[in-house]
Amino acid sequence: MFNEVIRLKWFGPSIVIFLVLFILPSFIPRFYTYILALIYVTSLLAMSLNLVVGHGGMFQFHHGVFYGVGAYTVALMLTKTSLPMWTGFIAGPIVAAIIGFIIGWFCVRLTRLYFGMLQISLGSLIWAIVLRWYSFTGGDDGIHGVPIAPFLSSLNSSYYFILIVLVICLIVMYLILKSPFGNTLQAIRDNPQRCEAIGINVRRHQLIAIVIATFFGGLAGVLFVVLERSVFTDMLFWVLSLEIFIMCLLGGWFTFVGPIFGAAIIVALRTFVSIFTEYWTLILGVILILIIFFLPEGVMGYFQEIFKPRTKETVKEGTK
Amino acid sequence: MDFSAFSSQFLVGLSRAMILFVVCAGLSFVLGVLRVPNIAHGSLYMIGAFATFTLSKLIGGSAGFWIALILAPLLVALISLIAERALFCHLYQREHLMLLLFTFALMLIIGDLVKIVWGAEYRSVSAPPLLKGTVSLFGASLPRYNLFLIIIGPLVAIALWLFTNKTKIGKISRAAAVDREMVGVLGINVSWVFAVAFVIGCYLAGVGGALITPTVSITLGMDHSLIIEAFLIVIIGGLGNMWGALVGSLIFGVTQSLGVLIWPQFTIVFPYVAVVVVLLLRPKGLLKAVW
Amino acid sequence: MKRKVAIRGFEVVAVLLTFLFIFYPANAKAQRPIKVGVIDTYAGPPATFANDALNGFKLALNEINKKGVLGTKIEFTTRDDKWKVDVGLSMAKELVMRENVDLIVGTINSSVTMAISDYMKGEKVPFIVWISKSERITGEKGHRYVFSTGENTAMAGKAGGVALAKKPYVKYWIAGDDYEYGHAIANAIWRNLKAKKPSVEKIGETWWKTGEPDLVPYLTSVMASKPDALIVCGGGATMTNSLKACKTTGIHQKIPVFMHTATDHAVLKPLGLEAAPEGVMGTMDYHFYFPETTANKAFVKAFQDAYGAPPGFPAFHGYITAHFIAEAFRKAGAVDKEKFINALEGLVIDSPAGKLEMRKCDHQAVLPMYLGVTKKVPQYNHLISGNIVTITGKDVMPSCEEIMKARGK
Repeated sequence: MFNEVIRLKWFGPSIVIFLVLFILPSFIPRFYTYILALIYVTSLLAMSLNLVVGHGGMFQFHHGVFYGVGAYTVALMLTKTSLPMWTGFIAGPIVAAIIGFIIGWFCVRLTRLYFGMLQISLGSLIWAIVLRWYSFTGGDDGIHGVPIAPFLSSLNSSYYFILIVLVICLIVMYLILKSPFGNTLQAIRDNPQRCEAIGINVRRHQLIAIVIATFFGGLAGVLFVVLERSVFTDMLFWVLSLEIFIMCLLGGWFTFVGPIFGAAIIVALRTFVSIFTEYWTLILGVILILIIFFLPEGVMGYFQEIFKPRTKETVKEGTK
Repeated sequence: MDFSAFSSQFLVGLSRAMILFVVCAGLSFVLGVLRVPNIAHGSLYMIGAFATFTLSKLIGGSAGFWIALILAPLLVALISLIAERALFCHLYQREHLMLLLFTFALMLIIGDLVKIVWGAEYRSVSAPPLLKGTVSLFGASLPRYNLFLIIIGPLVAIALWLFTNKTKIGKISRAAAVDREMVGVLGINVSWVFAVAFVIGCYLAGVGGALITPTVSITLGMDHSLIIEAFLIVIIGGLGNMWGALVGSLIFGVTQSLGVLIWPQFTIVFPYVAVVVVLLLRPKGLLKAVW
Repeated sequence: MKRKVAIRGFEVVAVLLTFLFIFYPANAKAQRPIKVGVIDTYAGPPATFANDALNGFKLALNEINKKGVLGTKIEFTTRDDKWKVDVGLSMAKELVMRENVDLIVGTINSSVTMAISDYMKGEKVPFIVWISKSERITGEKGHRYVFSTGENTAMAGKAGGVALAKKPYVKYWIAGDDYEYGHAIANAIWRNLKAKKPSVEKIGETWWKTGEPDLVPYLTSVMASKPDALIVCGGGATMTNSLKACKTTGIHQKIPVFMHTATDHAVLKPLGLEAAPEGVMGTMDYHFYFPETTANKAFVKAFQDAYGAPPGFPAFHGYITAHFIAEAFRKAGAVDKEKFINALEGLVIDSPAGKLEMRKCDHQAVLPMYLGVTKKVPQYNHLISGNIVTITGKDVMPSCEEIMKARGK
């Protein structure tokens, strides 16, 4: 997908972008720092979903569950136990990955819409448990004011923490996609029958991909708690999952960084358009339609086309 | 538990299943022919309900509801026709998931448009005089309106069956669901087949919205509460299979209302458990899927 | 080629819009007015309550700004939280960090309220809740920066318990919305009823998911169990749905039904004369037709003239919230957050429902409750609450000791 040249070409600018983002909080108002941090968290979530949707070709319709499980795990550990904060940070993604393994184990038996709907059902069971178990999870009220250690509690320190975690995750995800495993996964997306025929265990690869994606999804949940110090049942509800899915499509789900754009667009629109009008979903809908008509490959896909018009990207025919 | 409680609960569940069926048959039809999970389906159902309110108010009297019941779904069909011809039909050649994205955008837009047109207040339509009160059936008392729903459900099913099996356009759309390339090769304008299928699917959403008005209060957000349930029903029944939608609706409606009787604390999880069980036993749904 | 041009045009517009949105300056004047941020749910079913509250608030501000407060005016800006906690929290942060509001009011969703409340505690900015009804807001989770001008589940439960203890029923069935609000009301009613009348017995419970449209199956199953009375605990659209289901099944003619807020105008009005059941008991903290005082009549008339409909309970809350804010700033003598809070604690204002106090110990407004039954009257084309009995504020409020115990002090 990304050959060595592109890799070199993008390496310099990436470092520059990172450095700019790193010094940015000193120059911009507090609120924009917060919004950027929120965009990073959401980006990690969308990127983690895109591992299975864009690169794995699976209809992961209920990714929000793993985000919520990661967030709830860390929130519960920090409010109900006196374990050190770091154990919670590690436990969050691991528990999410375990749930991801269990749900994925059932889901990989099915394909496409059936896969997606089974996942929605299984995920909704977890949502129902969290909603019903008032004494433990706080039910519909959620958990607010999760105690975060003082050195992470200021807005700027949480910004840096989130940014660094995001960058590490991006590098790890990139390496995974470049690895033989990543290549196999994309081959499965493009032609599962052929992969099966040449002796690849399709289900096992898909399951591993789901576990990896849910791990990062859980990590995004942990970052959300660091930033907002709240968890609530909406994080596990299917509406959020649909939103993340839309972010991937919007940004360009066959590109590596596309979901970041998708997340940034949705979060920014939600925040800044709603200042002007209460009908911001209407505007979001109109913008989505404009993008569908004018940027068929998503925002990032469009940029890729501009920047390298000659080497036509091998855009896949889709999962159809 | 005595028998009359059980049977009245069963009948109420059955009537609920009928509304679900009407909505899901439309969703399933669109899914079968166009292969698009139409997320905006619930929004069209909501328009149907609000339009029924306005029309029955406007016309007034005891006939108001009946006329609204006919006109409101037609209005929904008209709206969907406009959306399809103006925007949606240009996307058929596109990446499949883009169509999903489009219906999502449509859902967002309709959600706010309904709020602009009808405002945020609760609305209510009362059943026509003919269908007020309760009747006794197998020792159980059942609201008359629910009885009406139990009758109307099978009628819709028969009408749909006649349409897809006896009319030319119905047969073509059924063929398009199985093999759209072949239909195109035969020189049939596939785009128009899709338009007809889309409009019929949305019309059924409107019918569902109109039918439910006397039993609930009409509010913004009624699209959200319905749409995911509808998708689950369509999936467990078998994609694009109309009888599957019927079976799925019956499972949902009846397990839910009997669940209330047996284990009221956990009614919230019954539909999801039902889907998990069905999909694990029969990965392609209960009845044969068209794709 | 034509498409290429379209793309460029689209691109330019997109970039321009982005800059416009992001860098649009927040108002910053030298002699700035008092700025109030309003966060509420203006989408979905709760919007009907949120809009009503906002109208009440606006009406009061018009009155207040004629005179002015501390030589300036009170301005407000609204944000829609879409009933989502993360959105509400973002909006609160935006209002505090970007708009520099002096205080935030609003919120109907308890989960949003508690998330914002926790944030406001850290930012030391006052927050006045006007609809959200969880007793934990000013109870267990209360703190210096959060206030409530609305009734809460503890008050509703106490009112319900007091009302039902006088009735002869023994075997109760409880049904309601399966979320925090429904359960909180149910627990509070039952706790108070059991304390007042130990002989009562709960023979079963039914919980439906919030927003469940058709409640007929649930009520028919309750009817089959033949309790002496049914308590329905829900909010918003559920109340309309459950009244409609009562009428359809006729359950209220066989089994007495009590619902907190069943007598609410926003619930009864859409049902008209046909779909609403008569004789359902309910409690409410405000009616536009009760109390029949000149102050209330004047408020209702002004509201009706301005917005074309009589005020509901949220409008009343919004109205008194604005007056609490104005009076507190006048008393404080400066636009200062800490002084404002000191002034608001224990403040008494005149309201359409008589004198109201903002209790110092828990920052909860002391509101009376009106117990009534749904009833047809000739002058309205919808049902109203009849045979109203007033339960005074101090009878429905949990004591300060109970609050301190809940807060673990």
